[in-house]
Amino acid sequence: MAMDKKALYLGPAKRRIRLPFLSGLSGMNRTGGSLLSSLLPPVVALIVFVGGWQLFGILSGIPAYILPKPTDILEAGIKNHVNLFNSVYKTMSSALIGFILSVIFGVAGAILLASSKLVEKSLYPYVIILQTIPIIAIAPIIVIWFGAGTNAIVIIAFLIGFFPMLSNTLVGLNSTENNLKNLFFLYNANPIQTMWKLRIPAALPYIVAGLKISCTLAVIGVIAGEYIAGIGGGKGGLGYAITVAASRLQTAYLFACGLAASVMGIGFYLVINYISKKLLSSWHESEMKH
Amino acid sequence: MSTITANTLVAMQHLNKVYPNGTVAVQNVNLDISEGEFFCFVGPSGCGKSTIFKMITGLETHTEGKLDIFGMSPNAARKKNEVAFVFQDHTLMPWATVKENVCLPLNLRGVSKKQQIEEAERVLELVGLQDTMMMLPRELSGGMKMRVSIARALISRPRLLLMDEPFGALDEITRQSLQQELLHIWQQDRSMTVLFITHNVFEAVYLSTKVVVMTPRPGKVESVVEIPTPFPRGDAFRTTPEFSRLVGVVSQHLKHG
Repeated sequence: MAMDKKALYLGPAKRRIRLPFLSGLSGMNRTGGSLLSSLLPPVVALIVFVGGWQLFGILSGIPAYILPKPTDILEAGIKNHVNLFNSVYKTMSSALIGFILSVIFGVAGAILLASSKLVEKSLYPYVIILQTIPIIAIAPIIVIWFGAGTNAIVIIAFLIGFFPMLSNTLVGLNSTENNLKNLFFLYNANPIQTMWKLRIPAALPYIVAGLKISCTLAVIGVIAGEYIAGIGGGKGGLGYAITVAASRLQTAYLFACGLAASVMGIGFYLVINYISKKLLSSWHESEMKH
Repeated sequence: MSTITANTLVAMQHLNKVYPNGTVAVQNVNLDISEGEFFCFVGPSGCGKSTIFKMITGLETHTEGKLDIFGMSPNAARKKNEVAFVFQDHTLMPWATVKENVCLPLNLRGVSKKQQIEEAERVLELVGLQDTMMMLPRELSGGMKMRVSIARALISRPRLLLMDEPFGALDEITRQSLQQELLHIWQQDRSMTVLFITHNVFEAVYLSTKVVVMTPRPGKVESVVEIPTPFPRGDAFRTTPEFSRLVGVVSQHLKHG
């Protein structure tokens, strides 16, 4: 038994490794044993998938420009790592600016709409109509107006992230508990006080939900923007790299770019998720530790 | 019945409330509530108790009759910041600390931070929660949340305190100790008038100077029962023959309605 105990004892240091970023992915427990048991299945699945893909690539003899093997993708990524990092950096910074703009305008717009029923009734239908127009249809107009380049790309990212921010915040601002609203009324709070001290804090969980949607959409928006606006300018982003790689049949690099984009999106999401935990964990059930 | 005296705080004369769909919520209510009284409103659901409170606070307007608070209209009275409220639900802001929750009425009026903290300390001590200033509502038990809610109501030193079934969701032991604390606070300074809604006849008799028995559909005042037992009333009062007799009287009126 003594042997068993020793063998099982991995040491406290290892057990205390905290992975706050990862916890958002599956709500897994952070203790050693269960972390292993919850991480193991997806890791094994990944290894089986990637290994199977590699094996299939070798055995089938499909050329790399049609279906590159995982090793080809890795090689292409390493060979072009300077370009790849530059592209990721460029796309990331545009996405970040677009996202921040969508948060500022989305939240401010929602506060404006929520402060008067009349304003909400008259404007909200048009906001929805605006949202239903596909971004791909608007993008060329934006390029015409703002020129092909970073400006147009950031605006496209902003537009795609704006609506989820606005509608989520608006729902949050309009779903304040009735009793609390009555309380503020009874204590003679003016509309501005009610907004700042009650409706906005109460809407925070909804705002955070909007942030989570908008941050991943911003990355998609930037890549779509670079795809369209990158041809005439705005060189360097992932969307541009993808169009170039596709035209040159550099399929392995194409995969590497796609992979980098999704890793970036996940990273962005995890950062937002971490911030949301910091904001809400003390009081809102959605982010409480159980 | 409606003889308005100098110290009448709340006066209702032929008060009616008919909702647009035709429901008569309150019919011909005549009540004079003097300063320093503890009025309990008892009656089954739908008898208009809460509607009367809503009219006093200005959340609803009456359709007929007269309703004066401090000799003025409900909306004007509310603006004087001398009316306070406790709901059945504790209505604490979950993101704010106990201190911030308690200070809310003063904060909304722009009272200085220093004075807010002094007053918060005073009222939290009254409800026995001076050590919870920096805690969040979720860290408190149901009874403690209700105490914080009462402290928030007391912070503005109200002349009129409205309580809408404040102890309805609490267990019997917590309920009894809160009843006692409430009476204790009210007795210290009898200038505060309390209007208290409850379903519970025992609670009504224990707390009040007068019990208003209401009957439903339409909401009417069946009778006003005086509870002459002097204060302070300890737990022993609950077991006296006098208490049983008064509970019986109020129950009879409820049944007759």
